[in-house]
Amino acid sequence: MSGGPLIVQSDKTLLLEVDHPDAQACRMAIAPFAELERSPEHVHTYRLTPLGLWNARAAGHDAEGVVDALLRFSRYPVPHALLVDVAETMDRYGRLQLLNHPTDGLVLRGLDRAVLTEVSKSKKLAGMLGGRVDDDTIVVHPSERGRLKQALLKLGWPAEDLAGYVDGESHKIDLAFDGWTLRSYQQEAVDGFWAGGSGVVVLPCGAGKTLVGAAAMAQAQATTLILVTNTVAGRQWKRELLARTSLTEEEIGEYSGERKEIRPVTIATYQVLTARRGGAFTHLDLFNARDWGLVIYDEVHLLPAPIFRFTADLQARRRLGLTATLVREDGREGDVFSLIGPKRYDAPWKDIESQGWIAPADCTEVRVTLTDDERMAYATADQEERYRFAATARSKLPVVKALVERHKGDQILVIGAYIDQLHSLGEALDAPIVQGATTTKERERLFDEFRSGALKTLVISRVGNFSIDLPEATVAIQVSGTFGSRQEEAQRLGRVLRPKSDGRQAHFYTVVSRDTIDTEYAAHRQRFLAEQGYAYTIVDADDVLT
Amino acid sequence: MATTFADHLRSLTDAALGELLRLRPDLVMPVPADLSALAVRAQSRVSVARALDGLDHFTLQILDAARLTRDPDGTTSVDAVLAMAARPEARAALTRLRALFLITGPDDALHVVPGVDEVSSPYPAGLGRPAADLDAGTAALCADPARLRRTLLAAPPQARAVLDRLAAGPPVGTLTGSANAPVTWLVDNALLVRISDEAVEMPREVGLLLRRDSGPLGAVRPQPPAVTGTTRDPKTADSAGAGQAMEAVRLTEALLDALDAEPAAMLRAGGVGVRDLRRLAKAIGVEEPVAALLLEVANAAGLAGEAERSSGEPLFLPTVAYDAWRGQTLAPRWERLATAWLAMTRQASLVGQRDERDRPINALSMDVERAGAPAARQAVLEVLGELPPGTAPAPEEVLALLTWRAPRRAKGRENAHRAVLADAATLGVTGLGAVTSYGRLLAATDGEGGAADNDPLGVRAGGDSEFSEVARQLDGLLPAPVDHVLVQADLTVVVPGPPEPTLADELELVAEHESAGGASVYRVTEASIRRALDAGYTADDLHALFRRRSRTPVPQGLTYLVDDIARKHGGLRVGGAGAYIRSDDEALLVQLLADRRLTSLGLRRLAPTVLATPYQVGRLLTALREAGYPPVHEDASGAAVVARPKTRRAAVRAAAALKTEPPILTAPRLAGIVEHIRRGDAAARAARRAPVTVRAANGHGVEGLTAVQAHTQALAVLQQAVRDKALVWVGYVDAHGATASRLVRPVSIGAGYLRAEDERTEMLHTFALHRITAAVLDS
Repeated sequence: MSGGPLIVQSDKTLLLEVDHPDAQACRMAIAPFAELERSPEHVHTYRLTPLGLWNARAAGHDAEGVVDALLRFSRYPVPHALLVDVAETMDRYGRLQLLNHPTDGLVLRGLDRAVLTEVSKSKKLAGMLGGRVDDDTIVVHPSERGRLKQALLKLGWPAEDLAGYVDGESHKIDLAFDGWTLRSYQQEAVDGFWAGGSGVVVLPCGAGKTLVGAAAMAQAQATTLILVTNTVAGRQWKRELLARTSLTEEEIGEYSGERKEIRPVTIATYQVLTARRGGAFTHLDLFNARDWGLVIYDEVHLLPAPIFRFTADLQARRRLGLTATLVREDGREGDVFSLIGPKRYDAPWKDIESQGWIAPADCTEVRVTLTDDERMAYATADQEERYRFAATARSKLPVVKALVERHKGDQILVIGAYIDQLHSLGEALDAPIVQGATTTKERERLFDEFRSGALKTLVISRVGNFSIDLPEATVAIQVSGTFGSRQEEAQRLGRVLRPKSDGRQAHFYTVVSRDTIDTEYAAHRQRFLAEQGYAYTIVDADDVLT
Repeated sequence: MATTFADHLRSLTDAALGELLRLRPDLVMPVPADLSALAVRAQSRVSVARALDGLDHFTLQILDAARLTRDPDGTTSVDAVLAMAARPEARAALTRLRALFLITGPDDALHVVPGVDEVSSPYPAGLGRPAADLDAGTAALCADPARLRRTLLAAPPQARAVLDRLAAGPPVGTLTGSANAPVTWLVDNALLVRISDEAVEMPREVGLLLRRDSGPLGAVRPQPPAVTGTTRDPKTADSAGAGQAMEAVRLTEALLDALDAEPAAMLRAGGVGVRDLRRLAKAIGVEEPVAALLLEVANAAGLAGEAERSSGEPLFLPTVAYDAWRGQTLAPRWERLATAWLAMTRQASLVGQRDERDRPINALSMDVERAGAPAARQAVLEVLGELPPGTAPAPEEVLALLTWRAPRRAKGRENAHRAVLADAATLGVTGLGAVTSYGRLLAATDGEGGAADNDPLGVRAGGDSEFSEVARQLDGLLPAPVDHVLVQADLTVVVPGPPEPTLADELELVAEHESAGGASVYRVTEASIRRALDAGYTADDLHALFRRRSRTPVPQGLTYLVDDIARKHGGLRVGGAGAYIRSDDEALLVQLLADRRLTSLGLRRLAPTVLATPYQVGRLLTALREAGYPPVHEDASGAAVVARPKTRRAAVRAAAALKTEPPILTAPRLAGIVEHIRRGDAAARAARRAPVTVRAANGHGVEGLTAVQAHTQALAVLQQAVRDKALVWVGYVDAHGATASRLVRPVSIGAGYLRAEDERTEMLHTFALHRITAAVLDS
């Protein structure tokens, strides 16, 4: 027994005891091939998945090294069967390679003839493969490069894509360092991405993903297409690029519902790309409008399914995915792997926080006891209406008010999901409301005021969930949400996690109604945060009110 | 012979006789009455076969040499045998054969015990019979060595290939349908002898001539084949093995728990069906062969067994011994499984294969029984055990060595031996292909000092205080059980090692099991807390439990969760009552409770306005009325039940109604009636046109003929009509039992049906022959 920090479980999870003296070394050793699943305070859980092992193979790690790391750090004997399985799984990657053949163009080469024969007979690959060049090589239709990779991954024989990339139309982009530099992990992320060619960088909200994108553009020195979730996020990208790079206003185009500009750097929203007229996607030409050298996907975990289909056709271009989490609620992680690329960089939130880049957040759940009338109304409400009743209970108002009072002088966001409730909150707090119906212009005006500090409190609806940037929000108060979505919780926490100029403590409050379904949903959402290492404190509303 | 053999035995010293019995222990089972009986037994086929089974490849070759060198009167000499073998090791082998009394007699007149010829191949050393015994022409050829050599050299290449193959042995070849030209040439040239229509044999002389390079016995292998394998660090092998051993115990426990939750049904033919096996395999996350092995081992270890459901169907489920086993620490638990595996006469790898009738072999069925399985395991582990620690041999090397050691026994057992290697890896007897230190001990103690011998009644099975050598060795490699947990804010509870049995039981109740292996991860959920509360824990107990077991501060979220659920727990109470009393007058109910005359009712106050009693309504009403209270009986909806005395009455019979009104005939109904009448008329007319015999047969029978005769006659008429293509009247009973007749032209008769054409309607009709009552040609 080595007494190491790692415990290998039969279900292929790895438990890492973080207080162990070797924990850091162990984390470094297993991070390349195991995916961090949960990181609560004492024991972090990693998982060995075929995707993770193949990611490691893609990055040049071999099975021997993986087995060695497991044995070296494992506290207890590791089952023989698990080691065999790891070796066999890793061995499957790279048996097939996608190459550029000097005369035949794109080809699939098998380093193992039996595997090549097996996959070439598969019905799933029908129509993607052309004639045989020789025993070990089959011609691939260039348009099928992405779909072939997807299909091979499903068959369990992921192909190594060595067919290279087109350089794209060259365009000069430099980072404008004036009083700032890339943080070390950002540089590492860019290096990891560039060495791999294509892939995904996983960084928490507020850790400067936009800068990673900008640095990747500077590295590529080519025209770039940036895909973002919505217009506001697009403007944010534009602002950031103008500030941090040599790009000028004229070089950056916006391709959204409002404007259709195509410039050397074009920022397009998922929404406009997936908009259909008469059943057909009308804006697909954007992908071919220029000879893009780099395509950046912001918030990969939200990438809509149709974009995957377009991405399958873009396999010859460099692709960079940016996200806070690889977990997709639709389970299409495999498509991200095969179409955008393997994970190239990942850092646990807590680590970045301890490096001081992210404001440490203090998470508090405030439990409100409903009045008897409210309880009665809740008890007799329809099943579908119950959450709404509980979440919008009027008893929450004084608590929110008290919290706002307590943090007087701080930049406060009040986040909710129900418009009526937002209006009463707006009235009670005398604060403006940003919601779906608010015009983009009005929205930006409010955000600017909030950013400048002229506006201290802002009430926002679900529209604030994604990619808006409010650097000085130090307090977030969540009053209602979309049931128990973990992703939403991550995004909202992201609102306050962004770096504070003065390093102040950030606060994240959730106000819930006691003994209702609201508490249950809150518990589900918080589980995600607890898994990320943020423990919740629970306080009673009375403690806030007095 | 027997007499001389017995005399020979009689002349032996006690020590020599004892040595024989030691070498061939089957001779004393049962103990023979006298030396004659012993002599008979020692020469019997069974005993000789058993002695031969234990011999290695080389010794058998020397025995073949002795058989080959016999002169016509059946004796040979030491010198002749050694000369033929031409190897120094041959002398020791011969001594061994003589010690076993497979070869007897003095040095110059050795005798091979007759039983040997009976139980071994008729072709010693793979050589055919002498030419003289086969065929005169061949004998003549073999008598002239020069000619024989010339003939051999003249053989065309293909024929030569046939010769070489037969020379390597066995010397008999079967003729296949085609490409027999080379064989025909050989037979024609007397190099081969046709011994039946389909087989040829190579005479011994020809074989010996062809073997002149390798020697008369063919390739002699006096030394066992080397086993090299790959060498690993013994510690790594031990560690991997121990990990696998833990896994095997854990999987067995999971399997039995799955059986506990839903027992498997035993098939009528014995065994557990494919579907159940698949379900169990899925439940514990392994492949089916592994599940089958664990199931067989658990059965052999007495941890699971058959029981009957109340409906009489046999079920397979954990035994009482399982509960005791669960309470032990890992090492003795593993040992119990491993010793059961070593001794079980079943070969689990057969499960899922198909038997000779091409039916799948089921786990726990009779088809898995293999009496030789323990010996196969012993043999394989012996081979592994002889290697230096950490040596992982390739399976082929092990098989080759086993084949050399006891060729007669290993024959046909390759799959069994392979299965032993696979099973040993699954159970953790080996690690990374090398036998582990504790696996070595296990193989060594089995049979001589194993638990089964020292403790035949299994009385010590539950006590883990007395560790066996094996368990001690394994225990040293296994992680020590832990008695504490780490509780985290995401409500997971991590046991950083194998939990103590009591800890495991506690956690099993208060949390959901999420992940197992070296450590266990549990998650506390609302449901699990509720389960614990249902099992009698209070909120304080739960807090105390987490405080006591956790090495880390109990997170606030968990405390709140427990309190929240405990607060709501029991908010609703459910119970049974025979009847209730309710009243808006609380004082009256208090009075009832206090009334001594009503104490026998066992009244209990559920609420200020409700009392309940375990007795039925009738008794309650009577008691209340007797005590002078005026109760009203109410039904389930709260309405008062009015009780009135019942009077007996007979059932009503409907009075005959006088029908005066004519029926109302609407137009459609009239049309229907008319159509009905017309149809009836048409049928009657058609029937009238039918000859009288056909009409008469419909229900009345033809005079002078029984129904059977009439039917036979009708069939004859029909067959004639088919041939003549004549019109015929057919009388038959239709599907509704109505009789009818039809004028048709038969088309065919067959398969119990008559097919015939009705010329009037131009339709093809099909009549069931058994429904035809009569047939008459149309005149």
